[in-house]
Amino acid sequence: MNKTLLILGFAFLGFVGCQPPSTLFYWGNYSSTLYDYKKNPSDTTLSVHKTTLLDIMKKAPEKKMLVPPGVYAEYGYIMLKEGKENEGMEYLTKEEQSFPESKVFIQRIKDEYSRGKK
Amino acid sequence: MKTIAFILLALSLVGCGTYVTKEEFAPNMYKDHPQTIVVLPPMNKSTSAEAKEYYTTTIAEPLTQSGYYVYPMEVVNDVLKQEGLYDTETMLAVPPQKFREFFGADAVLYLTILEWNTSYMITSGSVTVKVAYELKSTHTGDVIWFYDDAVTINTSGNSGNMGGWAGLLAQAITTAVKTAATDYIPVARQANEKILLAIPFGKYHKQYNADMKVKVEKKKALKPVEEKPQKGPS
Repeated sequence: MNKTLLILGFAFLGFVGCQPPSTLFYWGNYSSTLYDYKKNPSDTTLSVHKTTLLDIMKKAPEKKMLVPPGVYAEYGYIMLKEGKENEGMEYLTKEEQSFPESKVFIQRIKDEYSRGKK
Repeated sequence: MKTIAFILLALSLVGCGTYVTKEEFAPNMYKDHPQTIVVLPPMNKSTSAEAKEYYTTTIAEPLTQSGYYVYPMEVVNDVLKQEGLYDTETMLAVPPQKFREFFGADAVLYLTILEWNTSYMITSGSVTVKVAYELKSTHTGDVIWFYDDAVTINTSGNSGNMGGWAGLLAQAITTAVKTAATDYIPVARQANEKILLAIPFGKYHKQYNADMKVKVEKKKALKPVEEKPQKGPS
């Protein structure tokens, strides 16, 4: 067997192996549905974007990827704005559990909401 | 084997421009170790009024893939408004440390859209997006990383097999159609990807703290953020 060829083959494999994984978090259609909402803000485009957020949460584990930073929080925030307190708080808490570094931010959103209710 | 791989890697890095390691380019990133980044609404220095809103939708994804916790920008905008901050120009007056207080963020990312335009010359056309990033520590207030880059997509049409005036006319028409239809978003995404190759990876990335020796093209600070003229970080 041609040894040079074998070595080159391994070098190629090594080369491919150097590529960092580009998909740590699963983002689904996020930027596309957010863009549509920004371009044409309406109940319809917002509803499509909300579907994207839920879709990310569902599909990320299936794909053995992580739900990205901010997705639970963004969804929870939209829920609060729609007056769905329990759901909103639940998703905000999920954000903090998944990313403890978001604590200050999440606490702030929760406090702000509670203050606004009074 | 490894030697061959390294040689191949080295060869692939030879190009124009001066290359330095990430550690040489941004030493404070490896001292400060920011983990959470708050992205402020971009400043728009392009001629397109809509660039700011649209560009915003392309940032969170690549920045998180680089390993950082990025606060959801839609929510961030509302929090900033609660603080009386409506545009990035006024936010420049706010010390970076304040964003630690508001969000718990380790770093603040200031973005400037420098170009977001279509160049159209009858038979040739192109779409360009150029952006600059500047990351400041909320602990020290210093610039810890910056980078800028541009991506241009050629939208020149072709004339098919026609020659003469008919061919020129056909070329002009296909150029006009292609240029008008080109979406800025994929161009902006490419620009972000090019730029973020040069950021030291954050804690969610496999190469966190292992990319110091990776070479990046050395950039000069554009200073898009400071109003007053100032020398680049030493």
